[in-house]
Amino acid sequence: MALLKVRKSKINIPKEAQLMCDKMLKDLERSKRPVLTAVKCSLDNSLYNSRVGYLTPGDKRVKTELNVSSVQKLARTVFMLEVLLNNIDTGAVNTKRELYYMAKGLVKSEKELKPLDFEEQTESDAVIDYICDVLEVYREELNCFANDRGGQTYSKELIVTETLSDGTKATVELGSLGTSPFQPKNKPQALQLKAKKKIDFCLVVESEGTANTLVANGFTKRNKCIVMGAQGVPSNAVRGWCKTIQDQLKVPIYFFGDLDAYTLQNIYRTLKAGSAASLIRNSDFSAPQVRFLGVLPEDVKKYDLLCYDVTTKDASDARSLKKAKDALENDPFFKDKKNKKLASILHWLIKNKVRCEQQSLFSVNPKDPLTTEKIILEKIKRGSYV
Amino acid sequence: MSSKITTSSTAEYFAKNLQQVGFSSPLKAVLTTLKEAVDNSLDACEDEGIAPEITVQIKKVGKGSSKSADLIVVTVEDNGPGLDETLLPKVFGEYLASSKFGRGQCSRGQQGIGISAATTWAQLTNAQGVKVISKTKKMRKAIEAIIDVNIKGNKGVIKNRKSVDWDKPHGLKAEFRIDGRVQLNGDGGILTYLEGTTLVNPHLTLNYKLLDHDWVNIGRVSEFVPQVPKPTLPHPHTMKLGEFMTHAHLFGKLTLKKFLTTGFSRISDATIKDFTKKGLKRAYLSQPLVKFNETDFKEVFRVIQDTDLANPTTRSVLVVGEESLSKSIQRLGDIDFFSVMTRKPKICDFKPVVVEVAIARFLNKSQDAESQGVQLLRFANRVPLQFDKASCAITKAVESVTWRSYGLAQSKNSLPQGPYVIAVSVTSPFIKFKNASKETIDASEELVEEIRRALMQAGQKLGRHIRRENKAADLERKIAYIAKFGPILVDGLARIAKAPKTRRNKAEEGLNKILGKDSKEAENELKQAEDRLTAQKAKQKEKFGDLSIDKDPAVQESKPAVKATTKKAVSKKTTSKVVKKASKKVVKKVAKKTAKKKATKKKVVKKKIAKKKTTKKVKKTILRKKK
Ligand SMILES: Nc1ncnc2c1ncn2[C@@H]1O[C@H](COP(=O)(O)OP(=O)(O)O)[C@@H](O)[C@H]1O
Ligand SMILES: [Mg+2]
Repeated sequence: MALLKVRKSKINIPKEAQLMCDKMLKDLERSKRPVLTAVKCSLDNSLYNSRVGYLTPGDKRVKTELNVSSVQKLARTVFMLEVLLNNIDTGAVNTKRELYYMAKGLVKSEKELKPLDFEEQTESDAVIDYICDVLEVYREELNCFANDRGGQTYSKELIVTETLSDGTKATVELGSLGTSPFQPKNKPQALQLKAKKKIDFCLVVESEGTANTLVANGFTKRNKCIVMGAQGVPSNAVRGWCKTIQDQLKVPIYFFGDLDAYTLQNIYRTLKAGSAASLIRNSDFSAPQVRFLGVLPEDVKKYDLLCYDVTTKDASDARSLKKAKDALENDPFFKDKKNKKLASILHWLIKNKVRCEQQSLFSVNPKDPLTTEKIILEKIKRGSYV
Repeated sequence: MSSKITTSSTAEYFAKNLQQVGFSSPLKAVLTTLKEAVDNSLDACEDEGIAPEITVQIKKVGKGSSKSADLIVVTVEDNGPGLDETLLPKVFGEYLASSKFGRGQCSRGQQGIGISAATTWAQLTNAQGVKVISKTKKMRKAIEAIIDVNIKGNKGVIKNRKSVDWDKPHGLKAEFRIDGRVQLNGDGGILTYLEGTTLVNPHLTLNYKLLDHDWVNIGRVSEFVPQVPKPTLPHPHTMKLGEFMTHAHLFGKLTLKKFLTTGFSRISDATIKDFTKKGLKRAYLSQPLVKFNETDFKEVFRVIQDTDLANPTTRSVLVVGEESLSKSIQRLGDIDFFSVMTRKPKICDFKPVVVEVAIARFLNKSQDAESQGVQLLRFANRVPLQFDKASCAITKAVESVTWRSYGLAQSKNSLPQGPYVIAVSVTSPFIKFKNASKETIDASEELVEEIRRALMQAGQKLGRHIRRENKAADLERKIAYIAKFGPILVDGLARIAKAPKTRRNKAEEGLNKILGKDSKEAENELKQAEDRLTAQKAKQKEKFGDLSIDKDPAVQESKPAVKATTKKAVSKKTTSKVVKKASKKVVKKVAKKTAKKKATKKKVVKKKIAKKKTTKKVKKTILRKKK
């Protein structure tokens, strides 16, 4: 049973895997140490080109050569690869947690395999990620799907069509869902989007709660738009979903979240340009056209927003200041000329030693429940975004 | 002696302020009483060149007079010179402007409290002073009496005096019935104090019975009775203005010049000239001290401080010594290895000091000792310091060392972790304490650095032991890894590559060749680490002879099975043999399951441990008196 593809990829995974193993076996037959090579997924191997729009891998590679210290890792890799190839063969899909249990089950049934046993899911997750990096494939292409959170979406205009694995189609009109959100799960790239009326913009809100509040207060009724909750650091589903909205609907997307280093780097940058940990998949899991609507330093001033002091005494505050400095120094995204304005926000954060939460907009005029909506619309109209 | 003892008029003051001198809580009261008595016994023995044997007993006999306290009896008996009848009320019943204060000696009287405070505490909480039995060499019968403190008259009073038979040529026994609470372990514990005292007094034989526990006997490991070096005259740079003036009062009618040249070290006629060059008024020099007022003293003091002087001599410093420390530390428990370091005397902040360090790892500490901080024992002039450790120079120095490089776990800027005892002893005729309670050595930069150096040197020696251990464990783990994962890897590869059995087998041979090479390498590393350790031990042996206590003849007699080789030799040989055997087999036939072999290996290891344990047990039972 063929599954919908996440991307148009020419990689034939079973074939690649077989070649890889054959090569390792050949090395061993000649008493040579087999080596596995993987893309180095870290910030120091990330490149950013504003015309490409997302972080891409540099040419650093991590080589794992067989020796007494790596033999466990390699044995686990080959073992898990076999499990995944079997899934591809039968068309079964699993979450990482399920794969963890499947591995445990196999180990239990065959006592020869006992040494491979994973004590915690983090161990099996690491092996799965490693296989992706070696084969340069997406986890989804190995039929492994995370239980992704976030991405709750509200709109009166949007219609989503999903082609199911048996070929039938399901259509969801978001407008008919009331205040319940639509949530894309595993493969948002496989969804077909259509707008009933022209959609003016898409608003991604860091806090899912605030997204829901806006909708409950009539935001989507009054505006031809899409509102989405990111729920913190965007999951693969949220990232892929944003990219799908960007590519299929071609509407401006604005991100609205806290004003601090964490939101800027971990949430916004990941949404817009992907992350260092997912270098090989950023092309399909980032939406480079997303703009940063706020909270901006200028909003703090204009609306006299309530801020928190960030002191070096508090450990988490100190970490966040350090994070801002690190981002400016080491993150190619913030170092790029095109993102000068975003970098200047980080500078501002370091200089003023404050942070401002998205919910602080509710302090501006507490008697009027629509204030936040008004400010957001006004900012979009004024072009007050980065 | 009596000439040096001067009565002070502070009895009443002390009686009201006992909390300032170590009696601030029921817990501290017991510890201070014990400390005062044991310190005095040790000092008295050393003064007379007697190897001390001290017997301590602490009993809980009922409820105390105050709410949170028990009635505790503290008994300390020594084989020291004893005291004459006339001196008993003076020593135990009068407050003395401590006979040792400012003598410039490394004597123990650091608390400066005196035993009379303990008598006062007994009297205040239980209406009776101290019960003593004393016998000097000259006496045929011993004197038994109660000494009370007459607080108003500041006099000791002798009561219920009796002549009694005592089967001892000389000695003194003091019994205090006091309000108190007994804590055995931990920083302020009685046992911690006794163990610490044992460690830095290798020549001490100590017997003790604490509460309902069995008698414990710890024999001396050195016959050498240290002589506290002769006091040196104070060095003017080690004094504060107030001390300088007090010192001057003792010289009353003398002229300033005479006072300076005879009352201090490192001041000669030439130095006097330097003083005048620095602006000291000539008229001062011939003026008698009685005519000086405070301003004059200030002026003189300032000039002296401004003038360069030779450093004080380091001859006045006493050391325990590496050999004695090595033996002594083995008395604290079942140790699997240790390292000691005695630094040369050094001048820190113009004062001579010697720093000594002993580090040992204990076998029988509880399981979670791995993750707990090490036990730190601090000593100032051989007196254990048990409170206020945080800001002490010793604690600061221990925290500043990167113990991880010696193989100990440690989080940044804190004590390292694991079943270790780190003992640091600072000896100096002039120890500067941080505050009146004298539990914290002032953390001057120079002193902390000196202690840190000693710690690092001891740490390096320790590191060699730990590295060898790690290498051995590493090798064992690596060999086990190959046996475990090799076949799985090859099987998996063959299945995915859809390769025939012949290829699979050939690949496995190749794998074993590769990994065999690796384990050879690990084996070599282990051997190198072992060689380094052996070399260190040989060096130590050359210096002090064999320090292993497993050679104790008593142990050999009772357990002939282990007499031929020492514990350390046994364990080392066994590990490397086991490991070698294992690695060879693995290389030859990894494919075959190694369950059987592993079982035998484990057995050998277990036997090894069992052997160790029995040796120790035998020793302990010998040491422990039967009830
Ligand atoms: N157990 C003892 N045996 C013999 N002499 C003792 C004993 N205890 C105390 N003395 C004598 O009494 C003196 C006074 O003791 P103490 O009041 O504790 O002051 P310090 O210990 O500071 O000298 C000691 O210096 C010592 O000469
Ligand atoms: Mg004393």
